[in-house]
Amino acid sequence: MRRERRSLGFWLLAAFFGLFVLFLYGPISTIVILSFQGPDGGLTFPMNGVSTHWFANLFERQAVGDFGGSFTRSIELGLLVMAITLVVSVSAGLAFRRRFRGATFLFYLTVASLIVPSILIGLGIGLIFSIAGWQPAWYSSALGAHLTWTLPFGLLIMFAVFNRFDRAYEEAARDLGAGAWQTFRFVVLPLIAPSLVGVALFGFTLSYDEFARTLMTAGSFNTLPLEIYGMTTNVTTPVLYALGTLTTGFSFAIILICLATALILQRRRARHGSDAGKGV
Amino acid sequence: MSPDGAVGEVARGGLPRGRPASPAAARFPRLRAGASYLQVAPLAVILALFLVIPILTIVVVSFWRFDEYRIIPDVVLDNYSYLLTSAVTLGLYLNTLKYAALAWVLTLGIGFAVAYFLAFHVRSTTWQMTLFVLCTIPFWTSNIIRMISWIPFLGRHGLLNQALLSLGLVDRPLEFLLFSDFAIVLAFVHLYTLFMVVPIFNSMMRIDRALIEAAVDAGATARQVVWHVVLPLCKPGIAIGSIFVVTLVMGDFITVRLMGGGQRASVGLAMSNEISLLQYPAAAADAVALLAVVLLMVAAMMRIVDVRKEL
Amino acid sequence: MTRKTKGNTGRQGLSRRAFVKSAAVAGGAAIGSGAVRGFPTIWAQNIKNVTLRQFGTGVSNLNAVAEKCKQDTGITIQMTALDSDAVAQRAVTQPNSYDIADIEYWICKKVFPSGNLQPMEVKKLAYYDAIVPIFKTGKLTPDSVIAQGTAPHTVGFVEGKNSTSFAKQPTEWMTLIPTIYNGDTLGIRPDLIKKPVKNWRDLLDSDYVGKASILNIPSIGIMDAAMVCESLGKVTYADKGNMTREEIDKTMAVLTEAKKAGQFRAFWKTFDESVNLMASGEVVIQSMWSPAVAAVRSKGIACTYQPLEEGYRAWGGGLGLAKHLSGLELDAAYEYLNWYLSGWVGAYLNRQGYYSACLETAKKYMSADEWGYWMEGKPAQKDILSPDGKVMEKAGAVRDGGSFEERMGHIACWNSVMDENSYMIRKWNEFIVA
Repeated sequence: MRRERRSLGFWLLAAFFGLFVLFLYGPISTIVILSFQGPDGGLTFPMNGVSTHWFANLFERQAVGDFGGSFTRSIELGLLVMAITLVVSVSAGLAFRRRFRGATFLFYLTVASLIVPSILIGLGIGLIFSIAGWQPAWYSSALGAHLTWTLPFGLLIMFAVFNRFDRAYEEAARDLGAGAWQTFRFVVLPLIAPSLVGVALFGFTLSYDEFARTLMTAGSFNTLPLEIYGMTTNVTTPVLYALGTLTTGFSFAIILICLATALILQRRRARHGSDAGKGV
Repeated sequence: MSPDGAVGEVARGGLPRGRPASPAAARFPRLRAGASYLQVAPLAVILALFLVIPILTIVVVSFWRFDEYRIIPDVVLDNYSYLLTSAVTLGLYLNTLKYAALAWVLTLGIGFAVAYFLAFHVRSTTWQMTLFVLCTIPFWTSNIIRMISWIPFLGRHGLLNQALLSLGLVDRPLEFLLFSDFAIVLAFVHLYTLFMVVPIFNSMMRIDRALIEAAVDAGATARQVVWHVVLPLCKPGIAIGSIFVVTLVMGDFITVRLMGGGQRASVGLAMSNEISLLQYPAAAADAVALLAVVLLMVAAMMRIVDVRKEL
Repeated sequence: MTRKTKGNTGRQGLSRRAFVKSAAVAGGAAIGSGAVRGFPTIWAQNIKNVTLRQFGTGVSNLNAVAEKCKQDTGITIQMTALDSDAVAQRAVTQPNSYDIADIEYWICKKVFPSGNLQPMEVKKLAYYDAIVPIFKTGKLTPDSVIAQGTAPHTVGFVEGKNSTSFAKQPTEWMTLIPTIYNGDTLGIRPDLIKKPVKNWRDLLDSDYVGKASILNIPSIGIMDAAMVCESLGKVTYADKGNMTREEIDKTMAVLTEAKKAGQFRAFWKTFDESVNLMASGEVVIQSMWSPAVAAVRSKGIACTYQPLEEGYRAWGGGLGLAKHLSGLELDAAYEYLNWYLSGWVGAYLNRQGYYSACLETAKKYMSADEWGYWMEGKPAQKDILSPDGKVMEKAGAVRDGGSFEERMGHIACWNSVMDENSYMIRKWNEFIVA
């Protein structure tokens, strides 16, 4: 009886979920279709022939703007943000496991960092650099602006991780004579490693696509989102869609790799006898 | 914007195990505290440099004067007096709140259903992760490109209208699909529903399944279970998700500009207009006001939930 | 991405620049920072190592120009394309982030007084005499009427080397060297519009409810709006380029009414948006830029750049030198400016449908047929090709609006910064919210 009712609910919800996924992929579908525009085609329908012209064009010099340079810059910045987010959140996450004076304040500050509108952070940092006469650059001002966005996410995830973390392992390690660093390196780190993949992914993705915070802090050279925005001041071509299609393909690949890594880590951990890897 | 990290963790995690005080910490409180300070120092420094100081700067600059090409240190209230007396301000805030409210209701409804499906109907962790990842992939394509692509999707001659026409559902293209409040809210729902799904899902995964069994055994219908058991227990997740969605919408400017076809405005957009015309002090005053409104809204939501405990 | 130099980070750029500066001190100590052409051997070698950072909108920050410049002069130009808002911001707030500013004249009116740019010596500009008189006296021909608005010549010169106040007459100190300019008008989809379009007021014609668009850059949009209001006879202006508060209010009232009646499909801000709106059929009549019309047409979609009775709304852009430039870099910048005016770039810009500053030099780089089509309003003898070799117009085509003199001779007003600018912008914001 209950089983049947559930299965009806299941199908309804599954259909709803399917529609939701379709909705998420709606714009992507136009991107993919239109990236195969003919050489004379534009950014909108109708299709003007079918070709792979724009994929080849992606690797040629554009009339305006420079995919290569800005893409490299965005990747470098994303990796930098990712690394700093990872180290700082893990470190802060460890600290927050104990009580210390100012913990609550710092926690609310972190939450504030999450809710302060992006454009405000960009404006503030841009103003400081402008008043002080410093030169903004992607590796200084923009890096800072991105960190105010990624660190709260990183820290919140670490909270979620450590709230579920069984201290018995650490204590066992310590009882067996391991130092603080050894305990962290050989016990804690392997246990939290799968979640770190999540923190890293978060850090990179949030930075890679950040626009509002970068707008006023990027300095002389553009990151990829800014470059694309700048390119729209001249004739843009379906080469943008080709970029979108490739990025989507590339994302599938990266995410599959991450998924696999997480699974392998989980398996290994399961083999080593932890219960943390088991589902509910 | 890929929430799979948290999800992966949540999917794997069990119930929180509490925070028993470590005996070592009890033995050497001062030493431990020192280590804590060292460990949070990087976070504190980064937030001080790139969050606190910039916001203080904005507050200071909001009292400055400006002319065509520079900002002049001063203490004037002009920026605020215009802000507080102009009819535009009220219109802007009402408009922005309207978007926030609509986006919130829709993301909440959709987010709850999706999270419910993933938490209660998808049993295997691997599947949960895979489905989440499937949802996040569209967000890896630059947002600017995705925004441009809404035009051929929703436009007068776009994919959706053509589909509707060929199915005979409409006899002429629907115009309200693009460059309208509808389009703006649609884009918000598209961008931010996942921010709602993740925390709700997180809450759902922490619900003791025995509670549901008990409710069902006591004769509750599925609807009653959702309404009286699941929903109350999901409050923290809903609150966290709402904080995300509301703050993101309140501060947005690019979505409103691109999807509204430049014909709609929000607080963030007005601010970005002022910035683009080098009226930084006016923008700063706007920013201070917006920050105050957002903080009030968040404070209200935080009353419902202790975010830190509920993660 | 074919050019390695593009990948340079600012940091590398700086260290090399520091090196260049010290080289300039060493090499230039004896010579002084004199005229470039005086010492060809030493300078020419050094100049090859100079990198100049230029920013501007995508309209003229073309990679092809940087590449050709490298070939011809050895100077590396790093181009950064930004949207029009960011251009003004960058020019004013980050003066050290660029060496060459590519800005519009109305932005110059705001930027130059900030002291971030240095005027250039007219005597170092090899092609000064060839620059179209519009940029010196405001008159295309000696008997033309000077158009309203921020006409380029009114902000084209300053009193002296360290002056930031604009001169009324041409002086020895120029603020920007003009690069491109044009007269803008309404673009229409002749396949979707049945009746003839002759006046700016047609933008608000009830036939095009939900299918019209204007520019959402306030300083430019207000001028379009003024052209429409004047054409409708609803507002009379003493000077459209410098409206009173009352005139601004009236203009905005007309626009707001039209907006509420659903006249506009969207407002556009970037070049690309205007192309997409038109090509997708969302809009059938809107204020447009000439190359945007060409871009729509190149997709095989009919689009006309319709000349109107009231005349054109004109704009112009130019290159300015950052204040911090000195020594060898400054000399390289002059070398670049002179190269810019020497014709190749001019021809390139003309072929896009813009006009270049030194027509004589550009003419040498264009075929007689191209010159006839683009500049003289003659029917094309052969297919007209775009700078990258695509067919833009078939043989026999005639350019909309006719010859250079016909177009630039019918300028009604220039894009402007008004005395009541702040007020206007607030009203514009109200209009967008309405």
